[in-house]
Amino acid sequence: MKIINIYLLNAALLFSGATALAQKQTPPTGGEPRNFTLPAKQEFTLPNGLQATMVPYGEIPKVTVSLIVQVGNVHETEKENGLADITGQLMREGTTNLNAKQIAEQAARMGGSVDISVGSNQTTISGSVLSEYGPELVKLLADLVQHPAFPPSEIERIKNDFKRSMNLARSQPGTQADTKFRMAIYKGHPYGRDLPTDAQIDAFTVEQVRDFYQRQFGAQRTGVYVAGKFEGSAMRQAITSALSEWQQGPPPRIEIAQPVTKPDMLLLDRPGAPQSTLIIGLPTIDPSHPDYTKLRVMNSLLGGSFGSRITRNIRENKGYTYSPHSTIAPRYRVADWSEQADVTTEHTGNSLKEIVNEIDRLQKEAPSPEELKGIQNYVAGIFVLQNSSPGGIINQLNFLDLHGLPDTYLTNQVQAIHAVTPQEVKDLTKKYIRPEDMTTVVVGDKKVITPQIKKFQAEIKKRAL
Amino acid sequence: MLKTILLPQKLRLACSAFGFSTMLLLGACSQKTISSATPTPPTTPETAAFSPKTTYQIPVDYYTLDNGLKVVLSPDKTTPIVTVAAYYNIGFRNEPKDRTGFAHLFEHMMFQGSQNLGKMEFIQLIQKNGGVLNGSTRFDFTNYFEIVPANKLETILWAEADRMRGLNITQENLKNQQEVVKNEVKVNVLNQPYGGFPWLDMPQYANKNWFNAHNFYGDLKDLDAANLDDVKSFFKTFYSPNNAALIVSGDFDPTQAKTWVKQYFGAIPSADLPAKVDLTEPRQEKEQRFVKDDKLATKPALAFAYHMPDRNTPEYYAMGLLDQILIQGNDSRLYQALVQEKGYTGSVSGGINSGLGNMFNYNGPMLWDGNLIHDNNVTADSIIAVIDREIKKLETSGIDQALLDLAIVKMRSSFYDQISQLYGFGKADLLASFALFDNNPARINTLESEFRKVTPELMQKTLREYLRPTNRTILTVNPLAKS
Repeated sequence: MKIINIYLLNAALLFSGATALAQKQTPPTGGEPRNFTLPAKQEFTLPNGLQATMVPYGEIPKVTVSLIVQVGNVHETEKENGLADITGQLMREGTTNLNAKQIAEQAARMGGSVDISVGSNQTTISGSVLSEYGPELVKLLADLVQHPAFPPSEIERIKNDFKRSMNLARSQPGTQADTKFRMAIYKGHPYGRDLPTDAQIDAFTVEQVRDFYQRQFGAQRTGVYVAGKFEGSAMRQAITSALSEWQQGPPPRIEIAQPVTKPDMLLLDRPGAPQSTLIIGLPTIDPSHPDYTKLRVMNSLLGGSFGSRITRNIRENKGYTYSPHSTIAPRYRVADWSEQADVTTEHTGNSLKEIVNEIDRLQKEAPSPEELKGIQNYVAGIFVLQNSSPGGIINQLNFLDLHGLPDTYLTNQVQAIHAVTPQEVKDLTKKYIRPEDMTTVVVGDKKVITPQIKKFQAEIKKRAL
Repeated sequence: MLKTILLPQKLRLACSAFGFSTMLLLGACSQKTISSATPTPPTTPETAAFSPKTTYQIPVDYYTLDNGLKVVLSPDKTTPIVTVAAYYNIGFRNEPKDRTGFAHLFEHMMFQGSQNLGKMEFIQLIQKNGGVLNGSTRFDFTNYFEIVPANKLETILWAEADRMRGLNITQENLKNQQEVVKNEVKVNVLNQPYGGFPWLDMPQYANKNWFNAHNFYGDLKDLDAANLDDVKSFFKTFYSPNNAALIVSGDFDPTQAKTWVKQYFGAIPSADLPAKVDLTEPRQEKEQRFVKDDKLATKPALAFAYHMPDRNTPEYYAMGLLDQILIQGNDSRLYQALVQEKGYTGSVSGGINSGLGNMFNYNGPMLWDGNLIHDNNVTADSIIAVIDREIKKLETSGIDQALLDLAIVKMRSSFYDQISQLYGFGKADLLASFALFDNNPARINTLESEFRKVTPELMQKTLREYLRPTNRTILTVNPLAKS
């Protein structure tokens, strides 16, 4: 029986914290790193401007196909808030050849389903099926994107579902905080719009949907991505024959936002909430900026990984939260950095203070070479993982296409990650992560947290002196 | 805008069901990934023809150490990464009666320090070697796993063995994780509309045996009551090599791996395991209905659950196919009826062990369930009538071979997705479950043939016995928040 173990636990019990232990063993270091090469891709462009990229990956007999069109909420006018979503949802309800049920049945026979998701910059129409059905899936997705019927019989139901899901979103503290934050940072731009209201959704008509589709969709804005196990020549042929006739449509265009940098404290009352949901952040550089990869490394060290400083502090040391993390959210030619966490109500002010303390510490003192090396290895390891699944590969390639980045962005990634110096991390924090310029959103029990917030604001003021 | 919104906790659970961390990965929760048993893929698309009968075989090398540790090696050279997973045969069903939520709290303690790795050192070790890690607590196991660059296998085996050998926990670490876990319960349940619905609630209503029917996340007061003695005795009782399975999958040399496994795990002593708890549930003879008030929800919701046939029986496989026909995918009967035809809701989700796993990774009584959020003008009865109608239709018109074949295609495809999940971690998860529960991880390669044995007659029989209204529980959410 575990004699040693019992002794150890007893020691822990007796000297809580100060365990007098024998010499610790160090972990074996492991072998030489294996070579990782990005999966090879095959690219071609159709005469109408549609771009295709195919990447064979793995042996599991499935293939993923994504048609990604550069149309999203960013293409809506102020009066069209949510129209891109309704268009995407209604697209799934039938083509001039198939009704919704037939689409679902066809996809199921291939061992898959058709998913349409609408984001701020792009609409993605995708499916993942057993390998032998790859060409058929291309045909089905191509039918959806080129010949949507937009059946009037279905629009009321689709609007109703959309209202319900927006309603649900509005009741979640995370979405409330995120929406408030976006509205502050991207004021006056589609990125900064509120969630569509019932009245806005109710007002949409099938004519509007058709008009939006005609104005926005087309081959020039579309990329088709294939990843997984498939027969290359058959897939190429399927893409060429199914998508060559599509209208060229408008060229890609996204109105670039002008983000607002403004120190501000926005409170949303959630009476009786056991936690406060907080976001603190500011606009930052986007993926086309030469500092972007360096900033990602800095972010992983500061708050973007489990071993990061902020997480160690407010979770593993103080227990204020379970789910803290900092992210750089790239939009198009703009981005924002933020730390987000759901924290114990009683420690709302303390959590904000500790977040700022960690930023200050990194601004004042460069990390040790060991700490930075560890984070660089982590970010490089994540990069390998991101390129180790069909979905991940498609995400990576689409990222390049959306942000207009060269292939070297990926091929030099590991090298770029390892090139950052401790001094640069410190300088980047000072340059880009400035607490005095941050917008803070807190969703919580106003009555309880207001005094804490006031105290925190006073401390921030003092800090600037 | 937002992708189709599932129930909020679903999104979270996809990332970490009862888990240690939400910070495992960047990007989507359920990353699809692919792994294989053959060399690196060629650089140009190959031109092999596919037969619809392509079978995919997973290498399984299974053996047991002298101390009882079950070991499964499954090499796969697709990407230069390895996954190490340690599974302990103790889930939240089996926690002590006065300590609800303890199995999960204990899972957090496994990251708080062992003999050679202090607090945070385990996590830092994985990260600085370029890997990711997590742990989670489920019905019948608690798992710990790492995905690291292939050349770091020995490092990780050493670390995983260090905490199997024993913990070194202080009162301060315990207090810290009690706070973290309480925040986890708040963020996933108490501060969310539909928090805990139906994944945490339904077992408590549908089951009669306390072990299957208590609050697995734990009452906050029970979490606060936990002390170091509890931690110590829980470890001593359940965390021994003869109550565990170790899985290594990915790009590694099996001979070398065996040497390391023996070197690092071989000397950990086995322990006497407690007698198995009786988990049986009585046969349900009457439908039961419950209402849950939710002060954060703005719309009503409904969940239904039926008791499953015993695991690995012919009826169990039939139920897996009924699940495909009834609720999986947009072609499913319930989606077509409730969404497409009636417009009661935008999505119906559910399945077998749907909130906390899949149909393979549990070992005891289980539910097949479904749930939806709907508008105020739709009554629960009208939804239930549709469910009854669809099940009745299958019963009266029968399930022919064509429909069975469609269900099998969907099953095969979703099985491939399952083993691909999280860079191939999904495969390790099934291998571990089959090693722990069936002593036969090679089952992973015979699942398809088991499903193919199901006949139309067996489908009828299963449907009549298990999908009878008297075998179900209905739970509705009464929304108290203003839209």
